[in-house]
Amino acid sequence: MDTTTQFITVIILCLTLLTVVQGALVARRRKDAFPLRPIAAYDAIPYMVGTAIEADRPVHVSLANTGLGGSNTLLTLASAEMFYQTALRADSSLLTASDPTVLPLTYNLLRRAYVQRDREDRFSGSRIRWYPSGTQSLAFAAALTATLGDERVSGSILLGSFGAEMALVLEAAHRKKQGSIASSVDLQGQAVAYAMAGETLIGEEMFVAGAYLSDNAAQRGAVVALDTLRWLLILGIVIFTLAAIFEPVKNALFGGG
Amino acid sequence: MRRLIATLSTAIAMSFGIVTLWGLLAGGGVVTSLANILLQLVLLTVAVSILIGIINLFGVHFGRIRYREGNWGYSIIVILTAALVIALWLFNADDANMILLENAQVAVESALAGLVLFALVFGAYRLMRRRVTWGGILFTVSLLIILIGALPLRETAFIADARAWLLAVPVSAGARGILLGIALATIVTGVRVLIGQDRSYRESENI
Repeated sequence: MDTTTQFITVIILCLTLLTVVQGALVARRRKDAFPLRPIAAYDAIPYMVGTAIEADRPVHVSLANTGLGGSNTLLTLASAEMFYQTALRADSSLLTASDPTVLPLTYNLLRRAYVQRDREDRFSGSRIRWYPSGTQSLAFAAALTATLGDERVSGSILLGSFGAEMALVLEAAHRKKQGSIASSVDLQGQAVAYAMAGETLIGEEMFVAGAYLSDNAAQRGAVVALDTLRWLLILGIVIFTLAAIFEPVKNALFGGG
Repeated sequence: MRRLIATLSTAIAMSFGIVTLWGLLAGGGVVTSLANILLQLVLLTVAVSILIGIINLFGVHFGRIRYREGNWGYSIIVILTAALVIALWLFNADDANMILLENAQVAVESALAGLVLFALVFGAYRLMRRRVTWGGILFTVSLLIILIGALPLRETAFIADARAWLLAVPVSAGARGILLGIALATIVTGVRVLIGQDRSYRESENI
């Protein structure tokens, strides 16, 4: 890594650290200081869970091929948070994944969700399913379509790195009249999710489940930090764009040379 | 006790994270060597998690057979196939494993790939049928321009130009916007892990 990249990385990390800590402090002190903008997918989750409880069916969360230790580690942690929040509310949850590294993490989160609800006796490891397959695998999508029917799930939340194969899962969910919330870091998968899922999470919205579904100040602080960084980035893009076009525009208007 | 374990796991995660980051930024020296050792430990953990995965696979499907859950017959096939693949691997019969892969998995995946097209077309049709929104209209119009613009016809040449512009400017900008958003969220999540705010390794909500 060259010195310039190192310097920029350190600056970005320090800035993020500052905004995350400050955001958490502000969110803890004044809960309503930064109201979260409504996101339809997060609004739909309590309804999906409520429907599942009434029908005595599980809510299905799929993390696809995201796992720990690779480039998707942080996405995995964010998706796992979504699973935890769902397991905390739903009577029965089902998780599917194709990367085995998420198994210990999700076992622990599911157990903790049951402990939090004083229902540790209901914890069952079979609610976590491992379907071994490769990246963006059609075999994994096929396994999911079968699971939707066999387990009679009420609704599915698909997060991670799905590709176009997500269409098969969403199509199966639609045919079975099951709700769906989907998102993908892969742009093809994201487009499929937008067209076919009941509700969609786009881009960074995937990472803020904890803030929207819990009352945790640190999680809300992370959203404040994310918004602050986004505006700084927009400001940076605008400034650099203006700086880049200033000279050509000046030459065009007043004559160059 | 739980509080102690939670504090300990938070401390381990934070220190491992900081050392790895430092090793990545330093680009040499003792810290980088230490970071590499930690990364090797991750590989070991991955191997253990595969074992957990195999136990999970057999546990889930034996459970399905035992309680006669819906379509439990397929679970017998899964268990037999998994056992066969493991046995072939143990006896170093890689050729037989490849035949299984090429004749079974590749064939099934190819058939499914054909189905994806129909699922996508039906999905695009349903988008407008479900609810008409500005986003939906924009999505459908863009889709039509992209599809028609790809046709090798002289009559649709102007649509091909529109397609090229669409792909070069708004689609590219939108894709970059989404990826920048994901990158920002990843950095924020990473920093939260480094300062011990993430829930994954914390036992209690209050720590």
